[in-house]
Amino acid sequence: MKNKRFNLLLIAAVTLVALWSLWPTWRDYSLSRQLSSFSTQQDSLNFALSHRSEIEDARQKSLKLGLDLKGGMHLVMEVDQVDLFSEKAWNRDARFDSLMAGVAKEARSSDADVVDLLSAAFRKDNVKLSRYFYDIRNSDSEIQGKLRKEAADALVRAREIIRNRIDQYGVAEPMITTQGNRKIIIELPGVSDENRMRNLLKGTAKLEFRLLREPELQVRTLERINSAMVSGAVAAAPSSASSKAPLYELVSVSPSGSAVIDSRSRDVVSALLRQPAVRDLLPPDSELLLSARAEAARDGVSYYDLYLVKKTAELTGGVITEAKATFGSEGMQPEVLMSMNSEGTSKWARITGANIGKRVAIVLDGAVYSAPVVQSKIPNGNSVINGIQSLEEAKDLEIVLKAGALPAPVRIIEERTVGPSLGADYIRAGLQSMIWGFTAVVIFMIVYYRKAGMAADTALVLNVLIVLSVLAGFNASLSLPGIAGIVLTMGMAVDANVLIYERIREEIAEGRSITSAITQGYDKAFSSILDSHVTTLAAAFLLYTYGIGPIQGFAVTLMIGTAASLFTAIVVTREIFQFLLSRNKMTVKSFG
Amino acid sequence: MRIFNTTTINFLRYRKIAYAISLALLLAGFVSMAVKGLNYGIDFRGGSEVVIRFEKDVPVAEVRSVLREAGVSGTLKQYGMDRSFLLSTVFNGDTNELKSLISGALNDRLKGDPHEIVRIDAVGPSIASDLKWSAVKAMVAALLAILLYVGIRFELKFAATGVVAIFHDVLIVLGLFSLLGGMFDIMPLEMDQSIIAAFLTIAGYSITDTVVVYDRIRERIRNQKPSEYERIFNESMNQTLSRTIITSGTTLVTVLVLFIFAGPAIRGFAFAVFAGILIGTYSSIFVAAPLVYDWLRLSKAPVKLRGTAKS
Repeated sequence: MKNKRFNLLLIAAVTLVALWSLWPTWRDYSLSRQLSSFSTQQDSLNFALSHRSEIEDARQKSLKLGLDLKGGMHLVMEVDQVDLFSEKAWNRDARFDSLMAGVAKEARSSDADVVDLLSAAFRKDNVKLSRYFYDIRNSDSEIQGKLRKEAADALVRAREIIRNRIDQYGVAEPMITTQGNRKIIIELPGVSDENRMRNLLKGTAKLEFRLLREPELQVRTLERINSAMVSGAVAAAPSSASSKAPLYELVSVSPSGSAVIDSRSRDVVSALLRQPAVRDLLPPDSELLLSARAEAARDGVSYYDLYLVKKTAELTGGVITEAKATFGSEGMQPEVLMSMNSEGTSKWARITGANIGKRVAIVLDGAVYSAPVVQSKIPNGNSVINGIQSLEEAKDLEIVLKAGALPAPVRIIEERTVGPSLGADYIRAGLQSMIWGFTAVVIFMIVYYRKAGMAADTALVLNVLIVLSVLAGFNASLSLPGIAGIVLTMGMAVDANVLIYERIREEIAEGRSITSAITQGYDKAFSSILDSHVTTLAAAFLLYTYGIGPIQGFAVTLMIGTAASLFTAIVVTREIFQFLLSRNKMTVKSFG
Repeated sequence: MRIFNTTTINFLRYRKIAYAISLALLLAGFVSMAVKGLNYGIDFRGGSEVVIRFEKDVPVAEVRSVLREAGVSGTLKQYGMDRSFLLSTVFNGDTNELKSLISGALNDRLKGDPHEIVRIDAVGPSIASDLKWSAVKAMVAALLAILLYVGIRFELKFAATGVVAIFHDVLIVLGLFSLLGGMFDIMPLEMDQSIIAAFLTIAGYSITDTVVVYDRIRERIRNQKPSEYERIFNESMNQTLSRTIITSGTTLVTVLVLFIFAGPAIRGFAFAVFAGILIGTYSSIFVAAPLVYDWLRLSKAPVKLRGTAKS
């Protein structure tokens, strides 16, 4: 008798906890319905204000919908460790670059550890890691340890900076986590402007102030590249291979020495500039960079500027403390004002003071935003980025400059984006499957097992409640695969009842009384039920462990549902039968 | 209500025919996999997929030619939703560029029919190889776990044949995916993560049906002479027939609901689980139990079973 009371208490407790956990979801739903039912905006605003804390509380604790149902982005970004390590290396040479290029290629197509790949590549070529990394006296394993630590630090810093950027942009409930040693997983529900988000995330935001080389030097350098293209030392673009001045078909140089390229041939020029043979022709410590924006000229064609700049930056973005997007003094040109810390201020004053009359390029992620002529010494640590197309872009620059530069470039290596309209379709599809799946199972059980079927159906309702309440309680979200898991669980949960009821029918057929048949049925069916539940749970657990994102949602609901059905299908139905037996409402006919 | 009254089918007598059917199905699948191969989705091969939905009906050939002229590489197919198309192309890491290329071309050439890009999936090569490995690990781990568990609960012969039955079920479904892959517009039957989820579900479920039969055999075989095994096996299978069919039936119904209502993203999964449960039910009666019987017959050692079936 004691045991029986315990079971009843347990069932009551579980039901109450489930309902309590789902209560905010119901409140959230009914409040938003109320909100949208008002005829005027004023009324709904008043209601929202007067019920503010209640609405927020309900929303926070309600069952969350997954990215696929709500619409949003799931991104996996990768920190470019090859770049990170290359930056750390000293006395880089052609051999180092070719080794690293090989490592980069391998790293892109597999998930292997970059430090391992790097060590293997160096060992194969009989190069000691210490030749390029850290101290010459370090052993390979010491250097591996240091590189690993470097990589781990970079990952943490990158995550923080990305979090800053997303927070500044303003996304409700973003999820940013790291996975392994170079991946960052970002979940952004309800992002409406995905293009902007991608741009915001992928830039390194490495800001540099670099001196321009003299115009004459730039003219001479371009001339050298042109003759190398004529002689064939540098591979020329196919269209200009036969020309006498292949470079000048792409680049036009004005009498003042400034060079521009047609925006249509940007890709060709970028490819040309990347060639090692071209880089070898540049003066020492110099680099050819393109401007960030193409300017439309009078003839309707837009042109990029080409600059020969010093490779070593005079000052980098680390000194920036504040950034603000605004409109420039003259006209409607958006720009970003920046101020520096004290160290940066004094350096900036020295640099500008020493280079009056020269041009300083403001370079962000390898693109020149502007290259103003230094008019006078700037003592207050202010600087400005212009050459920005829209205020929106200026705002994004403000965000990335404030958040700081990433320690290494990051790339999007996986993306799953669902638009809000498809999300609404998914919700409809999910609801329909739940309703139809539930109806079909419930009707079948009643038709096939009569009264006992109703008991199983009651247990099934509790099962679904438990799954949803566990999701809500643990702040997990419900996705379309998760709904599929619930629908599948409904079919599997009643299996336990089928096994028990069939056994009871057998016992009845053998002439047992109803009470004894029920006891025997539950006892004898238990072993198969346990076995089948354990195997399903094991499969779901492994799916959860090895799967990612959407599949985990399925695995979670399947796990909760299967585990819960051990309780609902066995304990709950049995208590119902005990209750009915005690009132003499069960006969051998109750099992259909 | 009862669908099956007491049956007395001599299942073991048909086991040779069943073995032949199973082998034929497996062989067909293997041949198809060798000749035609499997249709891998972007999860495992890497790439980008874009679902474009139009406001009005537009022929697939027209969209295809517009995109091709705009320089969008890849293939365009009808997607399993109204007025929607699925473009699959290579992964290039710059979704914005791909998007603007598609939108620009479609806005330009199909002005009267506004479109919306409703879904983008892009999987880079390193993620794809990662996912492939995870899928293999999950499958192997699941099979080992089940082998271990059934081995502990019953004994090795039962566990091994149970796992053989799982292999049988999963491999036949895999063969079906190869045979039917790309044949239907409403379900491309591509191998992706959701199909791995389906395989693990099938593995977990296949053993469920098998265990029900095993459990009954275990209960009745205790202290019996090997000469009685044939009768016991047949009777056990007949006694559990109705529950085997009904448990599968309820699950099949819900999977069918998923296939019909849950939309194109779930359809391949639902198809795989549906086929898997059908085959799993068949294999628990005609493959798993007969294999145990044959093994017991050939080894001639009396069976030692763990677990206590209460009487």
